[in-house]
Amino acid sequence: MTDTPIAHPTDPFDPDAINAIEGLNPVDPAYTQVLRIATALNLIPLAIGASVFDALLIRHIDGPYGLITVAAWLIAIIVIVTFPSRRVSRWGYRIGEGQLRVARGWLFRTDTIVPFVRVQHIDVGQGPIERWFGLSHLIVHTSGTHNSTVTLPGLHNDLAAAMRETIRRHIQTDFA
Amino acid sequence: MSHDATIPATGAEPDWQRLHPATLALAIADLGPRSLQFLPAVAALGFTGNWIWIVPAVGAFLLISLLAAWFQWLRFRFLVGEDEIVIESGVFSRQHRTIPFDRIQDVSIEQGLVSRALGIAKVGFETGAGGKENDANLDAIALGAAQALRTTIRAHRSGEAVASPAATADAAPAAPAAEDRLLFAMGPRRLLVAGLFNFSLAALAVVGAAMQFFDNLLPFDFNMFNPMDWIDLAERYGLGDWVYAHRWIAGIGAALSLLLIGFASGIATMVFANWDFRLTREPRALRRTRGLTTRTDVAVPVRRVQAAILVTGWFRRRFGWHELRLQSLASDGEKERDHQVVPFGKLGEIDPVLAEVAIARPDPGQVWQHSHRIVALGPVIGAICATIGGGVALWLGNAVGWLGIGAAPLIALIAFWAARFHQWADLGEQVAIRRGWWKPKTTLLPHASVQSVDLKTDFLQRPLGLATLVFGVPGGSSLASHEIPAIPFGAADDLRTRILAARARR
Repeated sequence: MTDTPIAHPTDPFDPDAINAIEGLNPVDPAYTQVLRIATALNLIPLAIGASVFDALLIRHIDGPYGLITVAAWLIAIIVIVTFPSRRVSRWGYRIGEGQLRVARGWLFRTDTIVPFVRVQHIDVGQGPIERWFGLSHLIVHTSGTHNSTVTLPGLHNDLAAAMRETIRRHIQTDFA
Repeated sequence: MSHDATIPATGAEPDWQRLHPATLALAIADLGPRSLQFLPAVAALGFTGNWIWIVPAVGAFLLISLLAAWFQWLRFRFLVGEDEIVIESGVFSRQHRTIPFDRIQDVSIEQGLVSRALGIAKVGFETGAGGKENDANLDAIALGAAQALRTTIRAHRSGEAVASPAATADAAPAAPAAEDRLLFAMGPRRLLVAGLFNFSLAALAVVGAAMQFFDNLLPFDFNMFNPMDWIDLAERYGLGDWVYAHRWIAGIGAALSLLLIGFASGIATMVFANWDFRLTREPRALRRTRGLTTRTDVAVPVRRVQAAILVTGWFRRRFGWHELRLQSLASDGEKERDHQVVPFGKLGEIDPVLAEVAIARPDPGQVWQHSHRIVALGPVIGAICATIGGGVALWLGNAVGWLGIGAAPLIALIAFWAARFHQWADLGEQVAIRRGWWKPKTTLLPHASVQSVDLKTDFLQRPLGLATLVFGVPGGSSLASHEIPAIPFGAADDLRTRILAARARR
């Protein structure tokens, strides 16, 4: 599983380009749906709240009724439809050469490397939405205070388990 | 840790010990500050007019507190076994904890003012298990027993035969082993110098606030920070006309009292914290004892030291005074996250201490790389905000706005100038990071302590080809963020590769 060739073109306008240039693997595309549902669960209550506020208060003070409601729902829908795929394309990882590399974000991009020998313990977690899509997230714990946990979401169940085994084998061989 | 040794046969009753009875006296002394929590209730009773109930309520509070302390004392017992210590505690929910001597990194002994009068000490077991709740302590046992217990555990750890494991309070003073060397000590003279450099106006805020608060309560109406009050005082002695002619005298009076408070508080905090400061090298650890009222005795295991931080000030630096802190897995006491091992010393005194933990100070001739000036961006944005705020205030007709407009260029200039003080150097086995001009800090971080490395860029740094390196290092420090901001991307990537190639420190 280590050193898998990168399957993405290095076209600068491709959303995967930033990962490809840096030699990173993308996370599972199904993670987009997970993020989308999670975003929807966060934003729809907010939009409902804005609508209620609009109906109860703005109408009473003869304000421009409807403006806030429309804006809130419009923003929520745009964010839910467009943002998750962009966010997912910014996640990248690479496992190999005795280290795990996880990169995320674009406006504020963070590229973390954890050598396997520094790993204290590993979690493979799965939330209810992730389970629906057969995905898991990998959490690597180090003893550093900064970055004491490094999370890599959007991995297929089998892949997450395989990565855990790889890292665990390294921990054992290096401390034996 | 064989089982037959850990759990003695039921026939022979194991040698359970209790905390020193004087611990109860400690609990009573502790009631003073704790009864402050009771003040709101007393106030509520007072405001509602139920004055009669105040005395019974306070009485009941004291009684319940004392009973609770008594029960806790009664239900707390510990057992010093062959190669472990067992602690049982808890009134309702019992907690049974076994700590093998092998896992105890070191034993710290702390004595507060009351404890010293009673001859007892709080013993803390440092297990390196991270988190406050994981560290066990005995609060408190007789000082002799505490020292004997530490000697027992040390002897066990050094692999020597343990003669008598039980912490018999035979008051044998922990005989300093032959290999214990004094590395650094502070006499009264050094404390005085350190205190003078420790000039701080922090106490001033407290005094000022107190004066505001008690203004109406004081029998005299005198604020020594107010020059007008000095003039009034002079008038009373018939010097009014003369002082009025020389108004600056009043200003000097106020300034002098300011200086006096600043120096006095600096010296007082230094003396209270670092009285009789001694740093010794023991077989495994650096041991520090210090304190005037609260004496602490802390050991920093040498192999657990992760990084060293050299702190100085822009003024004391001219005189060659520095402070050395070590970042270790364990935290120092309750508040501090790194260990102050040399509070105030010359570099010549600091170097031997650094040598003990195998960390080298960079040469004076070391070539330092600079961070990009973009690190000044935050303050510059602040300055722009100040300008806008000042402009708005002026537009609204408030002359205070000039303050913002005047301060903004100053802030921006200082930020730009201070950005030059963000420097770093790779010394081969360790990275040195310098920052700050008001309070320059140098972090010496061995490559082997680094657990993970973040390479961060953002929409501002990326077009400039810059990146920020952030290191994950065990044990925290409030002073050192292990970060090299805004350096060329290639250099950052290269440094990261080299650091991660280093082997583990332990």
